[in-house]
Amino acid sequence: MSNVEEQIGELLARLQSPDFFEREEAVKQLGSFTEDEAVAGLVLAMEDPDLGIRELAANQLAGKKGQVASQLLIRFLANDDIGTRNLASEVLVKIGAEAVPALAEYIECDDHDVRKFICDVLGLIGDDQALEALNKRLYDENGNVVCSAAEALGEIGKPDSVEPLIAIASKVDDVRLSALEALGKIGHSSALEHLYTYLDSDDPIVFYVACEAIGKIGFPESVQQLSELLKSQDRSQAEAALSAIIEISVQQGGKINIDLPLDEFSEFLFDGIKSGNQAITEFTLSRLGHWFGNNVVNGLLDVMDYVDDERLERITEVLGDVGQVTAKPIVAKLLNASKSLKLKLLEVVKQYADEEIGKELVQFTHDEDAEVRQKVAHILGVSGYQGAVGDLKRLAEDPNGHVRAAAFSALGWLCSDEDVEFIFKGLDDKYSDVREATVGALVIIGDARVVSKFTADLYHEDAERQRLAVTALGWIGEQDVVEPLLKAINHPDPAVRKSAIASLTRIGNAGDLGPIVVALNDENSGVRKVAVSALASMRGAEAINDIRFLLDDDDVWVRYHAMTVIGDMGQAEFADSIIPYLNDEMDVIKIAATKALAQMGSKSALPMLTELTRDNNQDLAKAAQKAVSRIGSNE
Amino acid sequence: MEIKSREEGNVVVFALSGRLDLASGATLKENLKKYFEKNATSIHLNLTEVEFINSSGLGALVSIMKEIRLRKGRLTLSNLASYVQEIFEITQLSHIFEIYVTEEEALGSFQTVAAK
Repeated sequence: MSNVEEQIGELLARLQSPDFFEREEAVKQLGSFTEDEAVAGLVLAMEDPDLGIRELAANQLAGKKGQVASQLLIRFLANDDIGTRNLASEVLVKIGAEAVPALAEYIECDDHDVRKFICDVLGLIGDDQALEALNKRLYDENGNVVCSAAEALGEIGKPDSVEPLIAIASKVDDVRLSALEALGKIGHSSALEHLYTYLDSDDPIVFYVACEAIGKIGFPESVQQLSELLKSQDRSQAEAALSAIIEISVQQGGKINIDLPLDEFSEFLFDGIKSGNQAITEFTLSRLGHWFGNNVVNGLLDVMDYVDDERLERITEVLGDVGQVTAKPIVAKLLNASKSLKLKLLEVVKQYADEEIGKELVQFTHDEDAEVRQKVAHILGVSGYQGAVGDLKRLAEDPNGHVRAAAFSALGWLCSDEDVEFIFKGLDDKYSDVREATVGALVIIGDARVVSKFTADLYHEDAERQRLAVTALGWIGEQDVVEPLLKAINHPDPAVRKSAIASLTRIGNAGDLGPIVVALNDENSGVRKVAVSALASMRGAEAINDIRFLLDDDDVWVRYHAMTVIGDMGQAEFADSIIPYLNDEMDVIKIAATKALAQMGSKSALPMLTELTRDNNQDLAKAAQKAVSRIGSNE
Repeated sequence: MEIKSREEGNVVVFALSGRLDLASGATLKENLKKYFEKNATSIHLNLTEVEFINSSGLGALVSIMKEIRLRKGRLTLSNLASYVQEIFEITQLSHIFEIYVTEEEALGSFQTVAAK
């Protein structure tokens, strides 16, 4: 006897031990052998009194596969113990295609229960080697075996089975349902003509199963046939037909080109969404692009509490696309919606908010949630509903800063010019976003009173108010802000002076440029720089005579900026003023001069620029090379 | 300000250039009025050449938007220069106007909505 045989023999003996752990270990070790004796031992362990060991043996056997294991396991399908029987079935299914020949042979056995189990197992394995054996069982003397055989053929799903299944469905009433279901699972169009014949059946179950099978086959041509049934007086028949159409639609990626009377089925469809039916949900959402009566909008709003986030997003999109008609039903829905749903719905309403909707939304300015109040304030502004001004003024004093900011913005959008005094209070808010929203609102209103109040604010005791005032006057940009901005050039705060000059530059038509010319001598270098830009922008090359003295400014960056601005004007006649700076002690000025001369196209600078192409400072050398090349190319 | 208009399908496109202020805002509103009389409600404003907007210009845009909403229509804007973008941010009008980076994207959005 070989060593392996001895080891297996010993393990087989240990399987009889009264000790659980001994038996468990034996099963584990038997799993490592491939010999038939070891497989037989594992099969033996399938009869162990302990369920844990039986399951362990089953798992080991499933890993073994092979004909021997299958043959030995099949006998357990006749076991009196249902647990063991099921375990054997499971293992055979796991063994898969290798078990089919043994099962196909054993399917002829005398025990009709075993024949049925084998049909079930063959169906679960799903291998087409079993087709012939199963086709024969369609004519078994036992009805349960025939039904199981039909179901198994459906599971295997080969078109070859369509003909035998149609034949048996036509002949044997008891097998009809199983055969029709199987035809649906196979999904081949050759079954359709036969299935259509059952759409006239008096038996509601046969009708329903045929409908379902037609739906599963998923051929678009069936939709016409099914759509006729939507007119049926029998509601359940019509809904079964619609379910089949939905299934076809899902399989066709929603591409079915037929008008369906969906309004008549809205309750069915929305109930389907609520109950989590994926196909109905997909179908309904996909059809909404061209199907939205009032009942549909209400139905959609009704199912929003039942769907996942992704679908909620899609519904929200659809509601937005549907347009204005959704606004009123949405407002009604808001009354009982959760916070997150309210925010989503308000986002939809925002797209279509008009005065009428604004009127309806005022009640939500009292919502307990700040985010909702903030959104409502925002929409009231968008809506243009002047009647909301009082409520917005209340929200402008809300304890929540975001709400206050939204309310001030909205007051601006409503161009609520009678409330300028009130809106100005927002400039004293402790939060900067409220103050900025207030500035925005006042910029939109921008009338004489606003300009006058901001002009006064330029000398407000609070420096922040001064800063906001000069910014706001700049953005208002009307002709009546020019004078206060020119005066602000003499403001004690350099930030205000700078901002005033920048704003005048944007407005462009500053009239008297004297204060800006004076600002070229400002004590603050930032102000001097912005004054250079302002004059260049407003007077062009004429400004050069005013600004060129800043080429010798104490501040290197003022010098750099003045040189750059002069260079940008490209006036070659000023090159002589720039050339000396190619010898400046600071490289940054040499670079600025080089660039300026290049823009001026100054040929007289070429010898010095050529010299600089050999400079040790690579940045300067590169700038000089570019300048030489540019001037040279202009020759 | 120069105002050019053309029709792209159902959308009337206005290309604006220059300064949008009290006078040009009024001209723009007059131009739009002609299309409103023809029941046009899908309007796009291309602001690529608009170099300056002041308070009155913003007021004109807000008023146009309200008029279009009243007519259940749609207004889109595109190609905002950085200065215009900035004033839209300051006034938070960027939250209430439908703003696209390019005219093409804006017109595409009209088609998408129509196709749905």
